[in-house]
This record gives sequence, structure tokens and C-alpha cells, in this order.
Amino acid sequence: MTRRPTQRLCGPRTRPFPFSSFGRTTALVASTRRQSSSLKRHRNNILESPGKGYTKKALKDKNIQPESSSEEDDEETIQADFAFFDPRPDDFHGVKILLQSFLDNKQWDLSGFVDLILGQTTVGTVIKIEDAEDDTPFSVVTALNLGRYKKHRCITEIKDFLIKVSQKDVSRDLSMLLEDGAHNVGLLVSQRVVNLPPQLLPPLYDALFNEVSWATEDEPTEELRKSFRFKSYLIATKIYKHKNADQHKKTSKGLSEDPIIYIKPEDEIFQKISSWSFTFKLHTEQVAAQELRNYKLTGLVMAVEADKIPIFRRELHSLIDGP
Amino acid sequence: MATRLQFENNCEIGVFSKLTNAYCLVAIGGSENFYSTFESELADHIPVVKTSIAGSRIVGRLCAGNKKGLLLPHTTTDQELQHLRNSLPDEIVVQRIEERLSALGNCIACNDHVALTHTDLDRETEELIADVLGVEVFRQTIAGNILVGSYCAFSNRGGLVHPHTSIEDLDELSTLLQVPLVAGTVNRGSEVIAAGMIVNDWTAFCGSDTTATELSVIESVFKLREAQSSEIVDEMRKSLIDTYV
Repeated sequence: MTRRPTQRLCGPRTRPFPFSSFGRTTALVASTRRQSSSLKRHRNNILESPGKGYTKKALKDKNIQPESSSEEDDEETIQADFAFFDPRPDDFHGVKILLQSFLDNKQWDLSGFVDLILGQTTVGTVIKIEDAEDDTPFSVVTALNLGRYKKHRCITEIKDFLIKVSQKDVSRDLSMLLEDGAHNVGLLVSQRVVNLPPQLLPPLYDALFNEVSWATEDEPTEELRKSFRFKSYLIATKIYKHKNADQHKKTSKGLSEDPIIYIKPEDEIFQKISSWSFTFKLHTEQVAAQELRNYKLTGLVMAVEADKIPIFRRELHSLIDGP
Repeated sequence: MATRLQFENNCEIGVFSKLTNAYCLVAIGGSENFYSTFESELADHIPVVKTSIAGSRIVGRLCAGNKKGLLLPHTTTDQELQHLRNSLPDEIVVQRIEERLSALGNCIACNDHVALTHTDLDRETEELIADVLGVEVFRQTIAGNILVGSYCAFSNRGGLVHPHTSIEDLDELSTLLQVPLVAGTVNRGSEVIAAGMIVNDWTAFCGSDTTATELSVIESVFKLREAQSSEIVDEMRKSLIDTYV
């Protein structure tokens, strides 16, 4: 069986977390060299599909210019190979930083939540730079069954938070998903650094949904197999909403700016196919870039039926990979 | 006794607070839980002061001090300087210094007798440290890292340093500082010791990710369990002595 041709992906070079001068200095000064992590093979016949464990996704001859900081050379382009890994306990600190603002600025059991994600190795992916000295995760994606983990404090806190911020008309649907239907609901967690190349998204989500379907067959116990037969996915994410979005609805003038800017392109597709969604106000401090001065960072929660996922995968491919 | 806490879901509490034997500085913002944890532990003994430095919340990393004084970077505003001078006891010398390396908390680690500093610190700054803080100053590195203030935390009774410090370095530092030292981690394997914990002679605070093993290492090297027992005896003694005739 021939392997799919791999290509080189050029992307921003690994930078130690946090992306600060202090972080860079300490990384330069630190003398330790970490072992390169071993890649886990999820299935034996993995060579046929761009599945788990080892995927090089790239774009030939296309250099993505990273934002240059004042300390580095202008317009430095860097080669980087991204690889997909199963979640591991070592990824704790990196994944925790990625999920720092998952529940706005509420103080909750984030460490327990990260442990939950890293404990589920069958479904879930972490993207890192291949063979880098420090294995900082650039992205994490997973689906957690709300019923399976309902006893964990972090899941209870998530449920309470979502119910608290929900509006009256969707509260009923939300509580139905969270209480009675919890064992069929997967909480879709997807977080990444803002400058992760979008070309990685289709294989990332393909890997996630493939793993979910493989888990329904491969898990050792019937209970675990059943826990991955999700009927719907619950997604909590963030978008930029125009400050005057509601006012503009009343006037007939056309908007010169978009009412909503999606930070993650897949959120737009998710919202289109969602059964319901609602937005809520965020309390975290927002860094206002010049282009975003008319926008407010807003939380968005949506529920997507599991049978709409193939539509999502198709649309994501056509959005990113182009016609 | 060591207490675990968080600042806004962040376990790097040594970034947002500064603890010495004579005072405690705490960043503004976050929930009141952070401030009230310090208050309940410390308010009976030392002033707990809410402040910002240079308009930022990373007060622990920007200033350096001990029971005799407090050094602030040149970026500290006049109001902040005045606020600190007002809130702290008069014996404590609060000084703003002109030093290029303005994150003094990362460059200077000190207790009441000795200070370790960044190798590139100005000569004038070194003299000021010796003057204001009343300490002997040594330029050192820790496990090859020049940011000594970040990679170690020590009090008058013990110290915790970067986990990759060699035995020879440990012995050398221990001789300089005249306290027992241990190489260890905080916050579940984080090497940035001073960001993850703050300590003085009788108490310590660590990020909530700190494991039970790390906590017991901290309590033993800083002799916090013994400190507590002697405090209990002192308290009892005060109540036992009834009248002097």
C-alpha cells in the first residue's frame, strides 16, 4: 500500500510558552535537552489513512510569514513540521495554558479538567512540533462524554457555569443535554494558539471524529464503547461580536463590517449546522487590537447533532483546502 | 505550614505576590480569595499590602526585598511608591532604583542576610542592595541560569533551587547562603521555583498544582513544621505567664 505523499509545512517556529521575552530567555538559557517523544500508533493499518500518531501535513513552497517581534530579524520564515500525538500526562502544563480561559475568569478545577483530557488517550489529539527541544502543545482537541465523567468536580463546574450564563429560551434545551441526556453528549474541547496554520484543521478534526468512531468498536468494555456513541456534541467557544450588532438589526442600513468574527473558522460551520446556540458576555480582560476596536469578545455555546458531523467535515475541507 | 492557592486559575502565585518576614505584597485584581487567604494567615503578624508595580500585577517578579527594605524598579510610579511607603512600617526602607534590568524579582534572590544576584547587574545596584537590604551580595548562576531570582527561593532557614542544580553547585550555594538547600520542583514539576511559591521563616504558599510530595519537601527544607510547633509554645507561654510581681 503506497503511502500518501508527505509535504513540508512551513509555519511559525516553536516558541516556548508563554510567548514572552522572559519565556524566550529562559528557554535559551536552559541547558536541558528533552528526549523527542515517541509517536503512538493508534491502529496497525494506519498507513492507509492520515490518522493518528504520525501525520505530516504541509504546503509545498508556501512560506507563512510569522509576526516578527522587535527582537528578531524582520520577516523571518521558519520551517516547522507539525505532528499529531495522543494526549500524555507530560503535556499537563502546556494544555493547561491553552485552556486557561475556557470558563471565562471563573476559578474552577482546571487542573482536574486537564487531567481528564490527558487521561483519555483513545480520543483526543495534541499538536506539537516534531523533534522540538521542548514539546509544547500548540493545540489540543478532544471529546469528553459528560455522563461518563459526571462525578468529576470540573464537569459539574462546567455544567453549572453553562447553565448560569444561558438565556431563558435555550436553558431548557441545555439542561436536557446536561442532565438527562448527558451520557449521549460529548463536550468538544478545541483550543489552539492563534497562529496555528489552518491547513492542519481538516486532518485534526478528521482524526478526532475517526477516533470517536474507532472507539465505539475498539474500547475494551461495552460501557466504554457506548460512551463514545455520541448523539450530540456540546461546544463552548469564543467569537468577536460587533458592539453594534444588535442595533444594526433594527436599522435597514447595511453593515460595512461583519457582525461576527469567528476566531476559529470551524466555529462558523458549527454554528450553521447547530441545533441551537447562544452567546454570553465575558468578564475577562480583553486586549483590543486596532482592527478589533469595534468588537467585543463574546462566549458562544452551541449543540451540534452527531449525524451532522459528516456535513461539517465536508464543509471544513472545502473551506480550508479550497475548491 | 504550607498553603496551596491560586491567582485567577493561575498557579504561579510567586508572580503575583511577595512575602518577607516583615510584610507581604499582593497584586490587585483576581478574586478576593487570593488576598483573603494571605490576610487570614498573615494579618496578625505582618501587614498585607495590595499594590501594583508599574501598573502591572506581576509584583512578585518586579520587586525584591527582605525585612529591612524593599527595592522597586525604575518603572514604579510615584503613587505606587508613596502607597508602599505609607503602608509599610517606617523601619523598612523603600527604595526605587535605576537599574536596566527592571524585573528585580527575577534578578535578585535574598533573605535577611545574603542575596544572590544576576551576573550582569550594575555595580551601583549591587551596592544599593547591600545598603538597603543589609545583605552580603553574591553574583551567581543556578543550574546555568542567570535569573537567580526565578530559579530559587530561600528564607533564613532553608532554600529550594532548580531541580537540575548539580551537587557541587548545591554545596557551593549552601556554603554561601549558610542554609540547607534542596533541589526540587513546585507546581507539579515546574522548574521556576520562585514563580510557583513564596516563603518566609514561618510560612509558605504554593500554587495549587503542587503535589503532596513537593509540599512535604518544601515543609521539611524550610523547617515549617518545626516553626509551627515553636509558635504554638510561644503562644501558650504568653497565656501561661499571668503576672510579674
